[in-house]
Amino acid sequence: MNDSHRQDEWLSTMEAQSRARQEQFMNRIAARLNRSRLTEPPAQPFRGAPEFWNSFEWDEEERIKQFTQNFIQVGGHVTHSATMEEAAAFITAKAQELEAKYIVRQDEEELTAFDLESRLPDANISVWNTTDQSTSTGAPVDALDTTELDIAESPHEKVQGNESQHAGAHLDPHPETPYSQPQYWKARSAEADIGIVMADHAVAYTGSVAVMSSPHKGRSVSLLPTVLIIVIPVSRLKTRLGEVLLQFDELGAGQLPAGIHFISGPSRSSDIENDLTIGVHGPGIVYAIIVG
Amino acid sequence: MSMTSPMATDVKTRAELALNDEFLRKAVRFTTERLRNGKRSASEELPHWEAWRDRAREIRLHTIAHLDYYLNLFVENARANGVHIHFADNSAEAVDISLKIAARKQAKSAVKSKSMVTEELHLNEAFAQAGIEAVETDLGEYIIQLAGEGPSHIVIPAIHKNRYQIAELLSKEAGEPLAPDTTVLAGFVRKKLREKFLEADIGITGCNFAIAETGSMVLFENEGNARMVSTVPKTQITFMGMERIIPSWEDLEVMATLLPRSATGQKLTMYMSGITGPRREQDMDGPDEMHIIIVDNGRSLQLGDPEFQELLNCIRCGACLNACPVYRHIGGHAYGGTYSGPIGAVLTPALNGNVEEWNDIASASSLCGACYEACPVKIPLHDMLVFLRRRKVEQGRGDKLEAAGMKGFAAIMANSKRFSAAIRAAQVGQKVVVRNGEITTKLGPLKGWNSYRTLPAIAKRTFRQRWEAGEIAAQSAVKEMDPGIRERMEGIMQQRKKRGGDSS
Repeated sequence: MNDSHRQDEWLSTMEAQSRARQEQFMNRIAARLNRSRLTEPPAQPFRGAPEFWNSFEWDEEERIKQFTQNFIQVGGHVTHSATMEEAAAFITAKAQELEAKYIVRQDEEELTAFDLESRLPDANISVWNTTDQSTSTGAPVDALDTTELDIAESPHEKVQGNESQHAGAHLDPHPETPYSQPQYWKARSAEADIGIVMADHAVAYTGSVAVMSSPHKGRSVSLLPTVLIIVIPVSRLKTRLGEVLLQFDELGAGQLPAGIHFISGPSRSSDIENDLTIGVHGPGIVYAIIVG
Repeated sequence: MSMTSPMATDVKTRAELALNDEFLRKAVRFTTERLRNGKRSASEELPHWEAWRDRAREIRLHTIAHLDYYLNLFVENARANGVHIHFADNSAEAVDISLKIAARKQAKSAVKSKSMVTEELHLNEAFAQAGIEAVETDLGEYIIQLAGEGPSHIVIPAIHKNRYQIAELLSKEAGEPLAPDTTVLAGFVRKKLREKFLEADIGITGCNFAIAETGSMVLFENEGNARMVSTVPKTQITFMGMERIIPSWEDLEVMATLLPRSATGQKLTMYMSGITGPRREQDMDGPDEMHIIIVDNGRSLQLGDPEFQELLNCIRCGACLNACPVYRHIGGHAYGGTYSGPIGAVLTPALNGNVEEWNDIASASSLCGACYEACPVKIPLHDMLVFLRRRKVEQGRGDKLEAAGMKGFAAIMANSKRFSAAIRAAQVGQKVVVRNGEITTKLGPLKGWNSYRTLPAIAKRTFRQRWEAGEIAAQSAVKEMDPGIRERMEGIMQQRKKRGGDSS
C-alpha cells in the first residue's frame, strides 16, 4: 500500500538521521569522560548480585513455603496441588464459583490437557491465537459483537460511548478470519472474567512468576482479565530472582521474546491517601497454583 | 499541567504555600514515614543490605564510566530487535521527535505510564498543543493531571491530595457524584482508563533500566498501567534518560532487589516487565512499532565532573525524599522543579546547568546526611549540596545567605576545638547558628528553611532526632561527619584563604 510505503520511507530517513546522531552522541560522551571512544567491551569487575547471594538456595519445601507466604502477603491466593488433575479440578471449581462466562487461556499443552472446555460447558473459552473457541451459547463470531469491557465491580456492564466496544465489528474486512487480528485477541482478553496462564518461571524469594510472550502466549491474557490464574509446575520454582534472570542473559541478544513479565500479585495502588486498592488496572484477583 | 517556573517564586515562597497547608504536611509525613518504615523492614529482612548497596553502586559507577560503550551496545541490540532509536540532546528535540511519530500515525490520543523524563520535557503540554490527548494512566498521575498540577513525590505523585479533593475531581470527570471512597474512586478510574487504553493510538512509557547486552527495556510498576501502555496500543514510544543503562539481566537482579525496597518497601513491584522490541510477526499483542527516544537534556554535563558524575547513578527510587527532614516538612512542590527532595535539589540545577537560577534550593537542606544513608546506590547527595553551594559562592553568585553560611563554617574551621565538637555531620549547620543553647545569629545553611518557622532553640538534638521524633532505630547513632567531606570542606576553606577570599 502507498501509505505503508511512505511510512517505511519515513522510518528509513529517521534511521539514517539516528545513526548520524548516534556517532555524535557517543563521541560527546567519550569526550566528556576525557578519553577516546571505547569499542572493546570493558572488563566488568562486578557483575550481578554479591557473591554470597549466588550460593544461596532453599530446598523445595522451603521454596514453596516462601513463595506462598510472599504471594499471600501482597493479596494473592496460593494453592498447592499434587497433580495437574487436581489443578484442573481447582480451576473448574473456581470458575463455577465465580460464575465465569468468558475465559481466555494460553495455547499451552498443559492447559489444553486440563480439558476445561468440557469441564465448563457454560463458559466461553478462547484459546490464544487459535481458532479454538468452545461455547455452548454461540459461535465465536457472535462474540465479536459483544466485545465488552469488564470492570471488577460489574462484570459485563457495557461501557457506553466507547468506540472499542464495537471494535470487533470493523476489525477485519473478512469476518471469517478475525483470529488473525491482534485486535481480536486483545478484545477476547479484555472481556474475559478469567485468564489462565502457565508460569515459565517462578521465584520464591520475591514471590513472583515470570511469563514470556510467544505466538501461543499473549501478554494480554495475564493482564486484561478480571481474575488471573497462574499454574506453576514446582520444578520451575527457583529460590532467587537471579536464577531466572541469568537464563535471559544466556538466551542472549536476538533470542528473547518481546515481552517478559514478572507478576508478584494483584494489580494495586496506594495513590489515594495511601489506602491500598486492588485491581486498579490489571487483575485484582490472582490465584497461583503450585503443582507437584 | 502548570509547573511553577523557577524564576517565578523562590523556594521560600513555595514552601510557605506548602507549610500553610495542614493536610499536605500530615499527608507527606504519613506517606513518607510509611514508605520509610516499609523500606526499613524490607532492608532489615534482606541480609547484607550494605553489600547490596555497594554492589549496586559498583555496577552503576562502572556503567556510567563506560557509558559510550554500553549505550552504543544497547542501541545496536535494540535496533536488531526492531526498535527505532532516536537521540535527543534536549527536551525540545525529544518532544519534536515524538510529535513527528504521532503525526505520522495521525494519532488522536496517547496513553502514558509514569515517567519522570516526560515530566522534564513537559510532554503533555506539547501533545495537547498538537491536538493530541495524552492521558496519564498511573492512578496518582491521572489525578494530578485532572487537577492540572505536577507530581509532588517521585513515587506517590498525588500525595498532597485527600480523598475528598480527589472525589471532587473525579466526579467532574464522571459527570456524576462519586463517593469519597477509595474503592469507588479507583473503580471509576479503572473503567474510564480501560476505554482510553483500548482506543489510544500511542502508548508512551518511561524506562527504569535498559539492558545493553540484549537491547531490552525494563519497567517496574504496581498498577499494570505500564503493561497496558506497552501491550495494547499499536505504537509505543519510550523516553529514556541516556544513563538508564545496565550491562546485563544479571545486573538487573541487583537493581530489582534495591529499587522496590527503597521506593515502597516491597520485595518486588507487582509487575516487572522486560520488553525486547515490538511484537514478533506471529505475536497477537504488543506494539507493531516501537520507538525509544534517548534523552540527554543536561545529563552529559555531569559526565567527567568528579563532584557530580555520581548523580547519573540515581535509580529514581525516592528514598532520599522519604528520609529528608526538609522534604517531609515542606513537600515536593516547594522545590519548584521536576525532581524534588535532596535528589531534586542537586539534580535540577545540575541538569539545567544554571546554578544561579536555582540558588535557593541547595539551601533547603540540613546537610544531615540522611539522604546518603537512604540512597541504595550511595550517591553522596549531602556532599553535592555542599559543592553546589561552594560553586555558587565561588562564582560570585552566592547570595548573602550562603556567603554567611560559609563564613560560619570558616569560623568553626578556624577553631579546632569547636570543630571537633561539631564533627557530627548532622550538627554542622546547627552548630554554626546555635550559641548558648539559643539561636543568636541568622547565619548558616539552616537559615534558608529554618526561618520559615518560628525558632525555638534546637537544643542538643540532631535534625534527624528532631524530625523523626525519636524513631531512628534504623540508624542507631548519628554518623560522624564523613572524613572525606570534612577534608574537602577544609580544602575549600584553605583554597579560598589562599585566594584572599572572604573566609575570615
